[in-house]
Amino acid sequence: MLGEVSRRQFLKGAGASVAGSAMGALGFMGVEEAVAASIRPFKLANTTETRNTCPYCSVGCGIIMYSESSKADGKRKIMHIEGDVDHPTNRGTLCPKGAALLDFVNAPTRTKYPMHRAPGAKEFKRVSWEFALDRIAQLMKEDRDRNFVAKNKDGVTVNRWTTTGFLAASATTNETAFATYKVVRSAGMLVFDNQARV
Amino acid sequence: MAQPAPPTFEPIGIGEESRPPLAVTPNPASLFRDRAERFRALAEGHQMKPYLLFLAGLSQAQHATQGNLSPAAPPEAEDVRRAAEFGMPPIARERFEPDTAVAETLDRFFDLAAAVEAPEAASAALARLASRDSDRRRELLFAALADAPSADALSEHVFVSAALQVHFARLAATLDAGKLVPVADGACPACGGPPVTSSVVGWPSAHGARFCACSLCATRWHVVRVKCVLCSSTKGISYGEIEGVLDSIKAETCTECRGYLKILYEVKGPSLDPVADDVASLGLDMLVREAGWRRGSVNPYLVGF
Repeated sequence: MLGEVSRRQFLKGAGASVAGSAMGALGFMGVEEAVAASIRPFKLANTTETRNTCPYCSVGCGIIMYSESSKADGKRKIMHIEGDVDHPTNRGTLCPKGAALLDFVNAPTRTKYPMHRAPGAKEFKRVSWEFALDRIAQLMKEDRDRNFVAKNKDGVTVNRWTTTGFLAASATTNETAFATYKVVRSAGMLVFDNQARV
Repeated sequence: MAQPAPPTFEPIGIGEESRPPLAVTPNPASLFRDRAERFRALAEGHQMKPYLLFLAGLSQAQHATQGNLSPAAPPEAEDVRRAAEFGMPPIARERFEPDTAVAETLDRFFDLAAAVEAPEAASAALARLASRDSDRRRELLFAALADAPSADALSEHVFVSAALQVHFARLAATLDAGKLVPVADGACPACGGPPVTSSVVGWPSAHGARFCACSLCATRWHVVRVKCVLCSSTKGISYGEIEGVLDSIKAETCTECRGYLKILYEVKGPSLDPVADDVASLGLDMLVREAGWRRGSVNPYLVGF
């Protein structure tokens, strides 16, 4: 295949089969050395560009996120986000929310952990996932035990639970959506929606 | 009762859409003149100033070579069609047969290049080229087409490659860019050659898309971003740049093939030239190679590096 040929050409072009350089052969002495000397004080900085999907809505626009190591603590930090030109959905465009993703990512008020505001309390406080899931399950179970309708007034089995609703987000995979549906419907919940623009 | 027509959904424009074409053929009338200008602009205060000025002269000679040169014979329509059908490049260099137009291009270019101010070694190489018999010239020509110069003819290789760039750019310009098809990973859809650099362009119809520039025929072809041009891997791609100096030129490195190709952000610097800025950013190559990456591009002006 042509690709193979090209690959071989790359290797040759990369200096595997030649000695010396064009500059030297043409008589430009000292040019390479000058360049080598000029870059000595500099370091190679490493940045990345990563493809991802905008998390906002169900359109699922492609984005490219640029990141580099922070000088302060060496952690990678996203410094720019733009629409992915090669993505068939948005072809490089982003809506105002997508275009503001960088502020979303680096927002100081961004929710990173489960937070809990106890009844009567003024502040949210950070809790463990264990606590959060137990708490939600407990409240759901209590409500379901109280309000579950097994049969309607004509005695027909309906298994409804209408006092709790479920709002899922759109930025999910098919598998997540499938699992969500199974859990919610098996519990008898009728009020169930996927919010396309959370 | 008549059914209401089903609703139709039109896409709503939320911004400037980019639909990059597969390939853009070069415009030889301005290509080399612009490159010469870029070389001259880069030379100011550059460590490689003498070499960049020499290449500015060569590019200007490439431009001047074309004046009242008989037009390059386009490939047969049937050949182009067949090449497209089988995913082959229409002006493949492997099947290239030099005709009188090539000989004329070479002669004129060597004459014009002789007027460029150059060190002794370069002038001597040109003199050797002018007097060489056609067999030897043919040998050099095919070595240049294969990007495989012999170690004892590096200086000749530069001149022959530059002359061939003129001829192939004129050949590629005769092609209909819309009829080109992808031929292979990292290969030019017009001549099948390797790229010299890739650029994130700022063209109105393809803003932010990445195009590779062919090292021989100067055709630009579209390659998806954040993907290794050399091996098509999308894993382990990162970008090396000289810290605090150049952020419009980066080296796209790939951990799968350990190669790299420079990527020029024309969106940041519209005057970046795929060939001129490749030469002028030699410092980046040195840093990247020191870090253990292999240069995956071909540029006759940097051969042996």
